[in-house]
Amino acid sequence: MTEDERASEDGTRSLTERLTPWRARETGANAGLTGRLVRRFAWLDASLLALIFGSTAIVVGAGLVQVSLGAYEMTIGQAWAAVVNPNVLFDPQAWDAFLLGEAVPEMRTESLIVWNIRLPRVLVAVLVGMNLAVSGAVFQAVTRNELASPFILGVSSGAGLAILLTLVAFAGVTLVVPLVVTEITLGLSALLPVIAAVGGIAAFLLVYAIAWKNGTSPVRLVLAGVIVSTVFGSLQTAMFFFADNIGVVQSAIQWTTGSLTGVDWEQVRIAIPWTVFGLALAIASARQLNVLLLGESTAKSLGMRVERMRFGLSAVAVLLAAASIAVAGIVSFVGLIVPHVVRNVVGSDYRKLLIGCLFAGPALLVAADVGARLALSPAQIPVGIVTGLVGGPYFLYLMRRQESLGEI
Amino acid sequence: MGERGFATDGGVGSILGRDDDSTADDDADDSPANASDGTGASEFSGDDLVIGYPNTDEPVIDGESIRVPPGEVTALVGPNGSGKSTLLKGLADQLSLDRGTVRVDGAAVHELGTKRLARKLGLLSQDSTAPNSITVEKLVAHGRYPHRGAFEALTDADWDAIDRAISLAGVDHLRDREVGQLSGGQQQLAWIAMALAQETDVLLLDEPTTFLDLRHQLQVMAIVERLRDESETTVVLVLHDIEQAAQYADHVVALEDGSVSARGPPEAVVTEELLADVFGVDAAVATTDHGPQVTPLRPLDDGDDGDETGGPDGERG
Repeated sequence: MTEDERASEDGTRSLTERLTPWRARETGANAGLTGRLVRRFAWLDASLLALIFGSTAIVVGAGLVQVSLGAYEMTIGQAWAAVVNPNVLFDPQAWDAFLLGEAVPEMRTESLIVWNIRLPRVLVAVLVGMNLAVSGAVFQAVTRNELASPFILGVSSGAGLAILLTLVAFAGVTLVVPLVVTEITLGLSALLPVIAAVGGIAAFLLVYAIAWKNGTSPVRLVLAGVIVSTVFGSLQTAMFFFADNIGVVQSAIQWTTGSLTGVDWEQVRIAIPWTVFGLALAIASARQLNVLLLGESTAKSLGMRVERMRFGLSAVAVLLAAASIAVAGIVSFVGLIVPHVVRNVVGSDYRKLLIGCLFAGPALLVAADVGARLALSPAQIPVGIVTGLVGGPYFLYLMRRQESLGEI
Repeated sequence: MGERGFATDGGVGSILGRDDDSTADDDADDSPANASDGTGASEFSGDDLVIGYPNTDEPVIDGESIRVPPGEVTALVGPNGSGKSTLLKGLADQLSLDRGTVRVDGAAVHELGTKRLARKLGLLSQDSTAPNSITVEKLVAHGRYPHRGAFEALTDADWDAIDRAISLAGVDHLRDREVGQLSGGQQQLAWIAMALAQETDVLLLDEPTTFLDLRHQLQVMAIVERLRDESETTVVLVLHDIEQAAQYADHVVALEDGSVSARGPPEAVVTEELLADVFGVDAAVATTDHGPQVTPLRPLDDGDDGDETGGPDGERG
């Protein structure tokens, strides 16, 4: 062969030079610990930091609005003082009450209202926002489709159907749970959060079973999700038809559109363990998600068990979605929009994207909840309606601006 | 630094000495840099392979065996639909085999764990897609996936491998560019760098030059040559272009309708008979210093080429 010049594109450089690691040459003596640290945190760049600070500012601002306004008259100063009231902030007994559900200790009325009624709502919004945003981002990687949402694999329809079945068909049923010393009798509606989450997870498993044929593919998963959602959606509507009274219907709608009305520390307690567990798993899987984005055959040739990974990651995302359904119902659009916004700001590296979602998700949901609470004050509308009203126009804007919407 | 890479220097146009000489120089320069010296090149073979797709009944490849010469470049050629990509996917364990075994260094690939396999066997597939905003360096770093635990950070050894891959693929100057901003040819070089960072003993490339402009085709083939000359990597590639196969491969396997119709060194395989029988073209083949040179003349009518395969020098592998 005489195509030697092709064999050495950069023929003027010696092979030694070419094969000496570039990093080592560039950084020289600094290549030690500092160099490694720099590499380690290179992803924390300006755009991500700006997103984090901006989102945090929105959460804090909207949160302060939330704690300041309400039926009980107090000045803004009183409310803010109550938030930072050291007697509550550093009282372990109070935290036991909040996080473990023990008796709330004595405190001033303002503190009680702010800490026991208004703040938990903000906290639940933060948790739900994080869960939905990260869940949506994970699903978008798993299905390699920018238009995927936490509810794309049938989770919302399953949860909605489970809720309606409970409220309409089994309204009178009670469960008796035997414990060692006593037994508790629970109306099924007390178990609604659990039932909603279980319904969502069951629908997800059904979708997976339908999509499975010598393995799955993103397209088949999405199609199976559409099938299950359609059938379950019809069943939901049928259940409405059989509802006895308007109260049941309103309660069901509150669940299926997502609402933060009346949440308190109990909802925080329900959501926190799953949130921490799911978010930690999702963020630890950032690299797997990045590799999944390279396409199935590349991921496979890099040594990933694609099918197993896809199921595992979907399960984590469903868990996060189910945790948020359990405390707030089905809040639409957050899991769809937030990853989108974040991707536009920080790019598609999942390490940045997921961290960004952790901050931007709460920002959207806390802000939307301010709207839900104050728009038609004193009446409150479900926060899902506000996110839907914000989400639709945002997508219209995206559709107009971006030529190709869909593929990541 | 890398700017000089191939942006300005003579590259394809300039004439240097013979390939073998420059290789010898390189080896003298820098013997320890060769990735896998000492251990010898990997054995890679497939026996009695039956490969099909899950949703079709008839297997595409039905009972073929292939033995790849260690440390050399083997090209799979054939017309559209001859099963060359299918065979490659079967060899890479991307398609599960209906029958037969593929072995790397004696170990059956489907019995190796996925990550262990990915440390021995790399594949650059045709349908790779990357998010537009990923940088070349990050893309290449994904090549280290099989060498890392689930939650491990990149080690210095990983970075060294990434640096080597980037400079071998000649994409130093593109290192911090986003993949979405690159031309198709540059993207292909970045993908090759990713596969190189995997540092496997066997590297499979599925039509690496298809859809590239001439210059990038030559750059890709130059990388393949350097892999052969400077390391002991065993390379198997599907080539659309039989002239490229004739020019660069040490060993050519021609497929037709899912069976091997000829195999051997390019001079023995790339013949006028084979071009007529397998590819259905009338062509003139001249022997040159660069291996057989093919001048396609006209397509043969469907009636002409028939199904009977191989000249007398066919089945010799």
